[in-house]
Amino acid sequence: MNIYEKLAMQEEMISPGISACVGCNVELTIRTVMRVLGPNTILAIPPGCMGGVGVVGWDKKSGSKTPVFFPLLDNVASMLAGIKLHYEHIGQKVNVVAFAGDGASADAGLQCLSGAAERGDKILYICYDNEGYMNTGYQRSGTTTKGAWTSTTPVSRQGCGGKKQDKKDFPMIMAMHDIPYMATCNPAFIKDMVDKVEKAMAVEDGLAFLYVYNPCLTGWGIQSDKSIESARAAVDSNFAPLYEVINGTFKLNYQPKETIPVKNFVSYCKKFSHLNDLEIENLQQQTDSKWHRLQMLCEMG
Amino acid sequence: MPEIKVQNGNMAAATGAALCRPDVIAAYPITPQTPVVEYLTQFKADGEIESTMSEVESELSAMSVVTGASLAGSRTFTATASQGLALMYEPYFRASTLRLPIVMAVVNREMISPQTLWGGPQDALCVRDAGWIQIYVEDNQEILDTIILAFRLAEDKGVLLPVNVCYDGFYLSHMSERVEVPDQASVDAFLPHYVPEHIKLDPVRPMSVDPLTNGYLLTEYRLRHTQGHQRALKLIDELDAEFANQFGRSYGGLVEEYCNTDSDAVLVTMGSMTGVAREAVDLARARGRKIGLLKLRAVRPFPGARVVKAIAGRKAFGVVDRSVSFGWGTGITFREIRSAMYGEGSNIPAVPMIGGLGGEDVTIEHMMLAIDCIYQAVESGLSNETVWLNKEIDIM
Repeated sequence: MNIYEKLAMQEEMISPGISACVGCNVELTIRTVMRVLGPNTILAIPPGCMGGVGVVGWDKKSGSKTPVFFPLLDNVASMLAGIKLHYEHIGQKVNVVAFAGDGASADAGLQCLSGAAERGDKILYICYDNEGYMNTGYQRSGTTTKGAWTSTTPVSRQGCGGKKQDKKDFPMIMAMHDIPYMATCNPAFIKDMVDKVEKAMAVEDGLAFLYVYNPCLTGWGIQSDKSIESARAAVDSNFAPLYEVINGTFKLNYQPKETIPVKNFVSYCKKFSHLNDLEIENLQQQTDSKWHRLQMLCEMG
Repeated sequence: MPEIKVQNGNMAAATGAALCRPDVIAAYPITPQTPVVEYLTQFKADGEIESTMSEVESELSAMSVVTGASLAGSRTFTATASQGLALMYEPYFRASTLRLPIVMAVVNREMISPQTLWGGPQDALCVRDAGWIQIYVEDNQEILDTIILAFRLAEDKGVLLPVNVCYDGFYLSHMSERVEVPDQASVDAFLPHYVPEHIKLDPVRPMSVDPLTNGYLLTEYRLRHTQGHQRALKLIDELDAEFANQFGRSYGGLVEEYCNTDSDAVLVTMGSMTGVAREAVDLARARGRKIGLLKLRAVRPFPGARVVKAIAGRKAFGVVDRSVSFGWGTGITFREIRSAMYGEGSNIPAVPMIGGLGGEDVTIEHMMLAIDCIYQAVESGLSNETVWLNKEIDIM
């Protein structure tokens, strides 16, 4: 049975009527992970795209077959920790899961998430990184790539600007909390993602964290039929590599047969269209250096 | 059998909370609340309570953890003060609008700036419109008893609101008094097991909590929330009577009156300063002044009818506040009491007074001055500007 047959046999947990943008790979991601997680799940969707498109629901209608709620932008992990403590207190097994954007995870919600990771709260935290506050029209976040245009890092008429600072390396920050399981995922690699959700669900001794790199079609200016292709290019260029950290041991999950230049990945995105050759070369160098560091961590075993 | 102990206010709060058997406790230390967290974690370490504890990284998370646990069906307790309460503001508001029966002790402490650690209810009074029930208490026995009562109140099906039990930092939190600790069986008899029906995150009965909600429905939420407060207005008095019947102690419910049946003017206080106010009333009465005392206990819901009943028909009233309503220039509860009096056919002179800010002592001299100010208003028939008690006596 291949991965698609397997997923087809699992129940769709998310409403068919949610209003994500055409081609949205975050919608694909949440549908996939929720099929794997199944009905014995309590789902937190903080303010962000998936809240905005209606996964928590509108008025009296729910967007999920599981219990679902809106935590605050900055308290996702803590609210989930409280829910999990209740179910541990009464001795009942339930998947307690966050599906949160980079703003709610790496910026405003980082303190709560870091605290829950340190305390070992037994929650599964999934961060979809679309590099900005997309639900409010694409403002910069701590995970926006350097150079990218956003509505708060504008590009001048002369073609200069974009974000001046580097992207926060969020999966590495979470890995350094020494949690039992940390893995990166990508919507172009569904089997890999499903395997990682299953591993994360099996964690019983602390917080499991999944990081998904989700290029945003609307915000980044990617053609809607290039959703998966652009996401794959992020992996094939080593810009967003697939790896996991199991109890401190790093493991690379995918090695491109032929690594493509970062330039190929950024060329999918209008938000990088103003970058000159030097700026693109800088992104390439940083990607190479981070890739090298990751390889060394993996070699340490 | 109850046990007689010597406890400081924080131990009384921790003891009261422990007797209520919370399922989940989350708290973050802040002066002067810190010992509450230490006592509860020690109770847990010693196997005296079965609660699940979470030693969170901030007050934001303390309120968020208990909110999550309460949403899943737990009885929950936490405690904070001052800046910690301010940091909680976002989930604090959320806890009441989700109608979660959380009980939180607030060990009242001034808000900075300037940097301060000492007592004053400015912290909790500033969030009186965030939907919680707030009860302010006078001594350590009242802390313990009110926490037990607070869970009954919060979990009542017609109320379903979180409750703050507020007590003055240091004056109560760090001062030891005789406290009668009820036995577990009698608390269990007063406070049944909590079974949530209105809201619960449970895969057996999937529910969407807080989908995006339009104004017409949100209006319904707010209306019902106010109805919960109206129900609490009745229930606080009823529970006080029930508590008195079972435990032999009464605090008057929403307010407590002292020497007020034959009074011609009323002094209003709240919290620990009420002790010295009683002494001052006795002294003033010995000197021939028929002053009465009104201790405000519930600030939310505001006991308008009982306040009016206690003040109407007198010649003047004065309020000593340990807080400031910026922009009004008076204390905070003064505004509330004056609002309650409006339109009740009792436009009597009102004297706003502020004392004890930043934990300054409110002494018998201050209270005697307060009573003098009230009688000046009785004689002139006019309301006063705000009297700053500590400034009048300590600086002059």
